[in-house]
Amino acid sequence: MTEITQHYLDQFNAASAGLAGRGLPWLDDQRQAAIELFARSGFPGQYEEDWRYTPLKPVIGKLLHIKVDNDIADTDISDYLVAGLDAYRLVFVDGRFSPQYSDTSGLQDCIVMNSFEQSVARNPELFTETMRSEVPLSNGFAALNVAFSTDGYVIEVAENVKLDKPVEIIFIAVNSDLATQPRNIVHMGKFSQAVIIERYVSSKQTGAVVNSTSRISLDEGARLGYYLVQTQANDASQISSVDVNQGKSSWFGCYTLTLGGQLVRNNLRVSLQAEGAHCDMLGLYNTGGKQHVDNHTTVVHAAPHCTSRELYKGVLDQRSRGVFHGRIKVEQGAQKTDASQSNNNLLLSPNAEVDTKPQLEIYADDVKCAHGATIGQIDQNSLFYLRSRGIDEKDARALLTFAFLNEVLDEIELEPLKQSMESILAERLIADE
Amino acid sequence: MLSIKNLHADIEGKPILKGVNLEIRTGEVHAIMGPNGSGKSTLANVLAGRDDYEVTSGSVEYRGMDLLDMEPEIRAREGVFLAFQYPVEIPGVTNMYLLKAAINSVRKHRGVEELDAREFLKLIKEKAAMVEMKQEFLYRSVNQGFSGGEKKRNEILQMALLEPHLSVLDETDSGLDIDALKIVAQGVNLLRSEQRSMVLVTHYQRLLDYIVPDYVHVLAGGRIIRSGGKELALELEQKGYGWVEDQAAA
Repeated sequence: MTEITQHYLDQFNAASAGLAGRGLPWLDDQRQAAIELFARSGFPGQYEEDWRYTPLKPVIGKLLHIKVDNDIADTDISDYLVAGLDAYRLVFVDGRFSPQYSDTSGLQDCIVMNSFEQSVARNPELFTETMRSEVPLSNGFAALNVAFSTDGYVIEVAENVKLDKPVEIIFIAVNSDLATQPRNIVHMGKFSQAVIIERYVSSKQTGAVVNSTSRISLDEGARLGYYLVQTQANDASQISSVDVNQGKSSWFGCYTLTLGGQLVRNNLRVSLQAEGAHCDMLGLYNTGGKQHVDNHTTVVHAAPHCTSRELYKGVLDQRSRGVFHGRIKVEQGAQKTDASQSNNNLLLSPNAEVDTKPQLEIYADDVKCAHGATIGQIDQNSLFYLRSRGIDEKDARALLTFAFLNEVLDEIELEPLKQSMESILAERLIADE
Repeated sequence: MLSIKNLHADIEGKPILKGVNLEIRTGEVHAIMGPNGSGKSTLANVLAGRDDYEVTSGSVEYRGMDLLDMEPEIRAREGVFLAFQYPVEIPGVTNMYLLKAAINSVRKHRGVEELDAREFLKLIKEKAAMVEMKQEFLYRSVNQGFSGGEKKRNEILQMALLEPHLSVLDETDSGLDIDALKIVAQGVNLLRSEQRSMVLVTHYQRLLDYIVPDYVHVLAGGRIIRSGGKELALELEQKGYGWVEDQAAA
């Protein structure tokens, strides 16, 4: 066993008696299974195909403390808000729920929106079988998250309920060298509708690591817009696992927007489990410096007549690196599947790099699947054309980069969020070198 | 307005322009004709500042300034306009956005107040009408899915909007049917004035039926081998480029 694995096992042994929901059999069992798996497998390494291009050093190269206490650091939340976004809000500081910064006033009764810790402590009957179902422990990170299950958010929207406002969850990393383990659970009842924005931010120079899991399930006819927004500082890292199960005729719109972080690894898995389910998976990443952003997505078509559409676009500058690994799996019997996937990249510097690997795995014979990937540079003809119209080079480059990303930006239906993304991008693209 | 002296330019180390001399005074329209590969488009692009071309010797003075020393965007702001032979399609950037960014960068440079949205809209509608461009084209991505004629009209629209001192039209007639050619020519003629100079680069005499030049030059082998009045174009049409090339060689 490596020193780092032992380090976390020791922390687990020291903390386990006091962890949230101690004594709930399903949770105790989950923790136990997860920590055993973690003890056996440890963290993944670059010798594994799925982690080959992911340099995990920022995450496992140092011994981090997993925060289990309830102290909440003072923070100025206004630094992290999206201008003009009117939403119910849950705020987590260093992974712990912070009621003083949260605001759920006016929330309808038929919606549960709380922290994981408070829910398991005060309202464990809330956790239906669907919500208790475990995050697949596909790797050591997911296992570590489930073992600690320190805190996170829990949202349940009852049947036929439409949320009147989006729900925003902000995870703020404030203190240095912490590894937080948010465990998030969302359950959408039949024909319910909601928009969830899960945001990760950090103050500068924390070196913090977030290891999050989000388990989302949608019953028949439910509709969920889900935004994963990563704008942490460039010394913070995140490993995120989002796991989605979709019921009959449900819609899941997933937007993964990654502008920050030193190392960000997103594992997204969507399973279309009943007829007529549809998912849209959109991704946007813009990196500079030595950032590394890694998106691993899997769509499983497990039932007939489901559709999925995936579009990820990335702009990489300086020495940054991107990885896209997209997999579409069409299971036997999933006839009339219609799936598309594409990943397009724009490299702004000769030192930037992207590795892209679209993959199809098809076990049914009456399906329509398309995939593709491109890597390119700013088109010199377009650049000259704009300059010859009086637009200076820097602005012309920014304009062309925006134009490239527009296809994804245009699909962000929350105008304030879209504007906030655009202003972060503009600041970066027009900033002096 | 423009004074080109002994201009030499290479592309990828291969000499294309081999000593071009040309004087254009304010208010004049010059046609530059010549066979394919003679360097016509190179000359147009060198004037606009495309950096695929390397100027190896010679000078270009534009309104008292050293043109070759200026970035392409500065040339544009100082009033040089190139109508592209192949206008570029830019998906994701609307025509409106480009036009507004362009005019405001030019206005800012000239110390004139930038246009607000309403003023701009009024101006652009007026100019679009001039080149008979449907308004829907303003809201589409730059040149994307435009026909050849629509692209060229878009070039003339940009020219009309930016009101350049010196316009260089690179094979604006290529790929146009006769109706489109008339509309483009009409746009150019409306912009023709005592204060403006124009350079028409063309392979065919046809364009010159609609835009009548003051002078015609024949460019061949990277040099201007013959200059004359508008009647030179007609003579070329009848006798072909071989005629002047033979004369020049003799």
